[in-house]
Amino acid sequence: MKNVIEVKNLTKEYKQLRAVDDLSFEVHEGEILGLLGPNGSGKSTTINCILSLLDFSRGSIRILGSEMQPDAYGIKKEIGVVFQDVAVFEELNVYDNMDYFCGLYIKDKATRRKYIEEAIRLAGLEDFKRFFPKQLSGGLLRRLNIACGIAHKPKLIFLDEPTVAVDPQSRNNILDGIKALRDQGATIVYTTHYMEEVEILCDRVIILDKGRIIASGTNDELKQLARIEEKVSVETQRLSGKYIEEIKAFPNVESVDYSNGLLLIIYKKGKNNLTELMDYLKKEDIPYNRIYSERPTLNDVFLELTGKELRD
Amino acid sequence: MIVFKTFLKVLNKCKTPIIMYTVFLLFFSVFNMRTSGSSLSFVASKPDILIINEDEEAGITESLVKYLEKNSNIIEIDEDEDAIRDALFYRDVNCIIYIPENFRKDFLDKKNPEVRIKSTGDYQASLAELLLERYLKTANSYNETVGSEEELLKMLDATLSKQVDTELASKLDTGSLEKAGFYYNFTNYCILAGSIYVICLILSSFKNEGIRKRTMVSSMDYKAYNRKLLLSNSLFAAAMWLFYVILSFPLLGKIMFTRHGLVYIVNSFIFSFCALTIAFLIGNLVEEKNAINGIVNVIALGSSFLCGAFVPMEWLPAAVLKIAHILPSYWYIKTNEMMKGIETVNMETMKPVFINMAVILGFSLLFITAANVISAKKRRLG
Repeated sequence: MKNVIEVKNLTKEYKQLRAVDDLSFEVHEGEILGLLGPNGSGKSTTINCILSLLDFSRGSIRILGSEMQPDAYGIKKEIGVVFQDVAVFEELNVYDNMDYFCGLYIKDKATRRKYIEEAIRLAGLEDFKRFFPKQLSGGLLRRLNIACGIAHKPKLIFLDEPTVAVDPQSRNNILDGIKALRDQGATIVYTTHYMEEVEILCDRVIILDKGRIIASGTNDELKQLARIEEKVSVETQRLSGKYIEEIKAFPNVESVDYSNGLLLIIYKKGKNNLTELMDYLKKEDIPYNRIYSERPTLNDVFLELTGKELRD
Repeated sequence: MIVFKTFLKVLNKCKTPIIMYTVFLLFFSVFNMRTSGSSLSFVASKPDILIINEDEEAGITESLVKYLEKNSNIIEIDEDEDAIRDALFYRDVNCIIYIPENFRKDFLDKKNPEVRIKSTGDYQASLAELLLERYLKTANSYNETVGSEEELLKMLDATLSKQVDTELASKLDTGSLEKAGFYYNFTNYCILAGSIYVICLILSSFKNEGIRKRTMVSSMDYKAYNRKLLLSNSLFAAAMWLFYVILSFPLLGKIMFTRHGLVYIVNSFIFSFCALTIAFLIGNLVEEKNAINGIVNVIALGSSFLCGAFVPMEWLPAAVLKIAHILPSYWYIKTNEMMKGIETVNMETMKPVFINMAVILGFSLLFITAANVISAKKRRLG
């Protein structure tokens, strides 16, 4: 598989702080790579180094087979970037904004017009071409932000939390758009705080903490890293301490927590746990409303690996 | 081209303040022109007088009244004492001349009749007294030698009707220079405010953190991009300067086709360049769009007041003018003021003007260096 990005031993130091510590990874052609990590983990620094917005202390970065430099305009032509903060001209309408950002890459007017129209359709902004940013809702503004970054049809796209503070309808539209870009052959590096987006979108995930890669792989590979295999939740009232202690003694139980009428049992291994629990509840005549079993999520893996909530 | 095209689109959103500054300039210039006139020709001044003639209007008396009427403005007022006092008090007349009863007879009898005068005591009143004195002295001289009243009147008329050609020693059109000085002093405010407001607003858009990052990661050479932005801003400043210069031709007329006019134009061009560098410096320092209005007021309005753009420099306290030396506006306005007193424009008389221009260029160099240092520091993220 062809590598679009090759990062080797990347290190970035700020006086006393090592923001990125000997980082090495690849991004394969046509994949969506999720870059996860708590705040301060080095995600943004890594991306800024890759984009040559930041100098780095050691290591090498190659994009599309060539070394990335601040003046590597040939490589930059193939890159699209959507930053977390909306970056558009307040004085220009939707079309003119896209014309400017696309114009930084493409000189030919006719090609630009064609590409802009396609990006407008992809972002679902057909009815807002003449609207100014101040007239757009938060969701539409995010879509414009994305459209400005991808209008020139880049081969490699960096999306830095593109769905922050976006309503569900716009989020679905954005996610559909990203899938469409991948289907058109683009390689995407995606950073987000939303685990469900990573699970839906990403082919591979890299989890960063303190400037280092602490885990990487597909969603399923990462989930296997978790020490737990099953989570069972039971909605039940008036559960006495005696029952909780007896459940804790069940085989494979890692932990038991009971609060606000919800009993949460974490199992190290995931076979026959639910049947055994239901038999016990029936035998002890313990009433319950709902009982359900889940496999561990990426969020559980993240929590277990970093010891942090993603938003801390 | 995309940078220039976008520059023009953003500029289009800033047109209101430029129109506003131009309207101010036009209003005050036209107002100023109505209050001052040209000073190239000589016109004799005429005092306002009231003649109270108690004699018969014939012979020498009639001749005196006609002479006064010809050389002064005769004011008609009721001949009661209260009305006369009021007219003098309110300067409706400069002088009241009382021709006594039997003036003609007494004069011809060489009794030397007294012609009384009441005056405001000002310059115009003195002029009226001189007119009367001139007439009476000439009449008395001829009265001594001629035999008849008819002959006396003929000789008086021949002598007093002689006109003296007056040629002004200075060819300086102080009235037009005054207007030009006012206009170009006022452009100090328009150019400074227009440049700072528009260029800072445009730079704050183009140098917005997100837009700057997007441009830096794009395939456009960032140095070329900055050059295009600099050129676009310079073109705007040049266009604004040219607009104000063109506007000065119909407003100020002939003076703009003289060497004096050329100096005003060159001086304003150098100042526009300096204003551009100030705008670049502020544009690199200020990121908050809402702060720009306040900065325009402090810098453009402040330096215009301190350096005499709105009020003549000679009215400003010495301490204020000393402080004003540290502002480019002072040197710009100083040149405009100097031009009012320079009669012949040549290398010798222009020396102090060239020094002023050099000082402005020095300021420009200082500002552009500071702007470049700040811009270079901001270019890289870390």
